[in-house]
Parts: sequence; structure tokens; C-alpha cells
Amino acid sequence: MKHPFQLLLANSKGTHLFVSVKNHLQVYDLSNGNVVGSWSDTVDISVPSKKQEKKVASVEELKGDKKLKNNDAKPVAVAKTPVPIQGATPIYNYIRSLNLSKDEKYLVGTTDSDKAAVIFEVDLANSENCLKIIKRQIFPKRPCAVSIGDDSDLIVADKFGDVYATTIDSEPPVDEKALTPILGHVSMLSDVKFTRFNGKKFILTGDRDEHIRITNYPKAYVVKNWLFGHHEFVSTLHIPSYDPSLLISGGGDDYLCLWKWYDNKLLAKIELRDLIAPYLTEAHMPAERFLKPDSVKEISITKILTHSVDDKKILLVLCENTNCILTFEIAGDFSVKHLQTFVTKDSIIDICLEETSGRVFASIDREEGDLVELYDLGPDGQLSVASTNMGTKITEGNHCQVESRQNFYPLYYINTLRKRSEH
Amino acid sequence: MAKPVKDKETQLREQQEAETRRRQYRTNQEETRKKLKHARFEESEPVEDTDGKAQVHLPRKRFYRQRAHSNPFSDHRLEYPRSPEDMKWEKLYPQYHDKDSDSMLSKVEIADIGCGYGGLLTKLAPEYPSTLILGMEIRVQVTQYVEDRIIALREKHKDDEVNFQNISVLRGNAMKFLPNFFQKGQLSKMFFCFPDPHFKQRKHKARIITNTLLSEYAYVLREGGVVYTITDVEDLHIWMAKHLEEHPMFERLDKAWEEQDKCVSIMYNATEEGQKVTRNKGSKWIACFRRLPTPEDCD
Repeated sequence: MKHPFQLLLANSKGTHLFVSVKNHLQVYDLSNGNVVGSWSDTVDISVPSKKQEKKVASVEELKGDKKLKNNDAKPVAVAKTPVPIQGATPIYNYIRSLNLSKDEKYLVGTTDSDKAAVIFEVDLANSENCLKIIKRQIFPKRPCAVSIGDDSDLIVADKFGDVYATTIDSEPPVDEKALTPILGHVSMLSDVKFTRFNGKKFILTGDRDEHIRITNYPKAYVVKNWLFGHHEFVSTLHIPSYDPSLLISGGGDDYLCLWKWYDNKLLAKIELRDLIAPYLTEAHMPAERFLKPDSVKEISITKILTHSVDDKKILLVLCENTNCILTFEIAGDFSVKHLQTFVTKDSIIDICLEETSGRVFASIDREEGDLVELYDLGPDGQLSVASTNMGTKITEGNHCQVESRQNFYPLYYINTLRKRSEH
Repeated sequence: MAKPVKDKETQLREQQEAETRRRQYRTNQEETRKKLKHARFEESEPVEDTDGKAQVHLPRKRFYRQRAHSNPFSDHRLEYPRSPEDMKWEKLYPQYHDKDSDSMLSKVEIADIGCGYGGLLTKLAPEYPSTLILGMEIRVQVTQYVEDRIIALREKHKDDEVNFQNISVLRGNAMKFLPNFFQKGQLSKMFFCFPDPHFKQRKHKARIITNTLLSEYAYVLREGGVVYTITDVEDLHIWMAKHLEEHPMFERLDKAWEEQDKCVSIMYNATEEGQKVTRNKGSKWIACFRRLPTPEDCD
């Protein structure tokens, strides 16, 4: 059985598809379905790093010292070693995010294994392997989202709530202890977007509380404002390429927010509950320990995409662990109308859009058959299955074998951002 | 060490009894609080007082004690407005609410972050009689104490010139939700008095002054607004001063300024924590900073 694809990313011309499976990256040539680039993260997380080994050793020493000096040795030193408790979420060696620079010359992935951003030069003319790693920058905490500015600024948001700015280049990486955050939330960050507006640069950040913050850049110590509209966590920020004054945000709420972000104006709330309800399953119920009499199936947003076709503005939405894509039309007055619920056979893990031709790629959670499906987005905003065998070809290029579903890496983890606290 | 040795069971029993007494006291106080229609910003209907006035005494601190630390990162079940516009300030400052226009006559301009038992609030109240002053405290019982204290003060001084209607308190996590309460540039003063030092290196992000949080304080402060810090932990003082000095939106105010500013002397002498330090003959370190103008190229 093959492990499903976790992340998909097409370049703007639609000539190549970048994918991740577990700790592997691959690049597919979409003219013939051949693998033209690949990379595997070889950092072995089962082996403790030298740093950790050293830490353990020094604690042992400390313990010894303590005993010599003080007979009622309290376990002070022992408690300081962060040993994962039993039942702690295991760390997976996988790629959490994948981004192309604006000129598409660079690809940036983030790893959970060593908390790094891995920067590749993309040379499509190189017939052996179009991916060449140029830098692996380690961060103090696990990066969860990156955004690339147009001056090769690499903006990295982490699970500790901090945002770092570094550059895409082949200079040796900076020691992670020397990095200082340019901005921070006191909450886990879920997405970050670099954007330009009115000739100025801004960073938009979304967090596990319900905050979206707009910060000036590079003077990131000046907050422009917050956008208040969500009640639950924010997981996805999307700025349409056809109109950078807009922002569509989604997360753990039953709705998306459509903003004029610069004007701090909520234009519309796009309700999803009724549309997506038929496609929610028992898997969308809270875990048993969080179950309450009034618990309902929970919606979490995996992906928001937009496409402009013949003056029609189309919005595509993927809710986590569902087998459908919702499409909407955003009218000139910013009212939003549901167009279609496009249903496929199995749950969709990720989608991406190739904007030139309006082709949608979807990675599918299934044990047999095509792991990628291709759909065409028509001028009427309707999705239809594309007549191509590219999905089969891409699936053939996936050599990541696992014994059973139990060996799949977690495919659906966005809903874990939901807050459950009672105290 | 002349304390009589008690066996473990007796100790445990006594502790439990003491806790029961404290809880009982707080429950009674809560009843009083509800009867007095005191402001909480959840939408609960105030309980009408049917049998005359509830008896109001100044609350006794020892029934509200709570350990001095709270994890600012944890998902406490906090109440906070969805946005500053949603905040029901009239519940906290009923006398500053104009019923006809359903609007507040004044906005909060002074915030005491981590106000503890409210000593600073009560001393600032007469000094800024026409300014709304808010204390924020993350510990539930300590917040309740301050609430009860303000209720009692308002009741006791209802016919006086200084009637404590301009001070209030709420339970909140200022590190996470400050922008939910205050609009851009709303505050003129922010106090950080004897904050939790979070000594451990890896806990430093939990400190109330960090370079990233300072940007949020700069957001809620107006140009020329002042950040006041005081601590009895020299390391923390150095840390706070260093981070404020490094932050491009703040500039240090000098000793001469500190000496002429009345808030500095109130802060030095008024807070419970400050008085404790004085009793123990400890040192207190002060650092004050002015919020600089927003750079012209920024929004």
C-alpha cells in the first residue's frame, strides 16, 4: 500500500507539481508524469541528537554532584530534562508546509524533525534532479507556516507564536540561538502571509486563539490592527492574487470571513455548516474525553483557494477530512453565492490550484487506486473530472510503501488546534 | 523553631478546614457581589435585592489567597469581548454610562496589568477622578477580592467626592487578549507592578515584558503614553529595562522625570507587593518609558 500524498503545490504555469509524502519531496513534470526532482529528509528522529545526548549526560553528572553536596537530594535536576511523557504525541518526520517563491526559482519546505526551513533551488533544466538544497535553517521552535516576500524575504511562523525573518540565499545558516523574532503572538501560529498593499509591506498572522493580526514590515514592531471575526482558531489565511486588498480566513468556525483587511472591514461571513453537514462523519465528533451532551460535528478548514475566470471570482474550500470541495462565487458587491459541492469517492487531504488553466489537483486518502485526482474548473465555476491519466502516472511515481493505514502519518490534524480547556 | 510538631493527619485536616472556611467566605461574598449588580461583562441579569441592602464590608484578603503564579499560555476559560467594540464597559463603570445615548462618557485610559490586590487602583482613583482606570488580573480569587474591595469602597464612599466609580477590575490574560479590550492608542498609562519574574530561562517568554509583547503595548498606548515598571527582582528589572530600551517604540524617562511624576511615587508605596518589599527591607527598581510616535511609513 502506498502512503498518500500530504501536500500538493503546482507552479503557476502548470508545468510541474511539487508534492510531499512523509519525509519525501517529489517534483512531477506534468507533460509526461515523470519524476524530475526528489529529496528525502534523512534526519533520523528516533536517534537522539548530539545535543540531547549531551543534555542527558550532564543531568546524570548533576545528579551525582547533588548527592555529594546534599543528602536529601530532591529530584530537581531530573525534572529539567524534557522527556516525552507516555502517550505524548509522537514527532513525525514529515514536511509540514511547502511554498514556492514568487519567481518560482526557490522551493521552501519546513520539517518537524529538526524544526527547520529547507530551501531548494528549483532548476527545471536539470534533467537529473531539479531540486538542489541550498540551505537548511534551523529554528528554535517548530515552524508551521512560511511566506515568501518578493525580495527573497523568508517569513517563518512557529508553534510558539513567534515570527522570524530570514533570507533565501545560499549563505550558511545562522545559529538558531542568534535568531530573534520580529513579531510574536502568545498563541500557536497557524498561518502567515506576506503581502504588499499601497506600496507598503505587511505580514498577516493567524493563531490558535481567534486572532488575525496585521503588522507592518519590515518595521514589524508596529502593529497595524487586529481583525476580529472568528470565535475559534484560525487555520488558513488566503489573499486572492486577483485582488490583494481581500483576505479570506477560516479555521474552526462554521464560517469563513471575507475581509477588506487593510480597511479592517468584515465584508461577509460565508456560512458552511449546512453545506458541509452531509459530508461530516463520526470522525468529526470531538474525542470521547471532550464529548459533551451538546457536542456537534466539528468543521475545520484545510484550504482556501480563489480563481478569477472571465471576470468571475471563484472561491474553493476544503474542509478537513471530507470528500468534497465547496465552490462559491464572490460577486462584485462581495456577496457570496454557493455554486457547487463537488464530491469525490474518498477524503481529500490537500488541494492546489494551477491558476493558468484553472486545474485543481487533489490528493486522496485511499488504499488502492489513484492518490491524486485532477479536476477542471470551468468558466461557470463548476468543477469536473479532468480527462487525463496524469493522476495514475503521479501515483505510479510514489514509491512510499506502508503496510497498512495504521502506518500513515497523521493526515488530519487541523482540528487538534481547537481549544478544550475547562479551567 | 518553637512550632509544635503536628502529625500529618492533623495538618491535612487543618488545611482542609481552612480551605473550606475560605471557600465559604468567598461564596458568601459572591452572593453579595451579585446582589449589588456589580459589573461583570457577561450578560447575566443582575439579581435584584429584595430584602433591603446587602451588608458590605471590606473583604478580607486572607480568604482569597492564591499562589502567585499562573501559566499565561494555558487556555484558561476566560471571558473577553470579541473585539473592543463588543466590550460592555457600562457593567464595570455604571456611573459613566449615559443611558439615553447608550454610550460611555469616558474610555479606560489607565491599565494596571497584573493588578494583584488592587492597591494601586485605589490610590490612583482620587488622583485621576475623571479618568477610567482598569486593573487586569489573571488569578480568579485575587480578581474577586479586588471586585469585592471596589464594591465595598463604592458603597462606603457613595456620598463622598472620591467614590471609586472610576476604578474597576476584570479577570483576563493581558498577554493574549489585550487588543480585544482596547482600541489602538486608547491608553495613556500602563502599569506593570511586581510582575511574576519567571526565573527559568525557558520561561522567559512567559514574562509580561518581551520584545514581541511590547509591540502590542505600543499599539494600545497613544503617542506620549507611559509604561511604568517596578520590581524587587533586580534581574527582572534589568531584563525589562533592556527590552524596553531596545524596542524602537519606547524611550526611557530619566530620574528627574521619575522624581516629579506622582504615579511613580504612588507605585513605589501603594501596592501590597511594594509594601511587603518595604517591610522586608528589600530594594525596588523602577523604569518608565514613553511611547514614541508611530513611524511615518507605517500604518
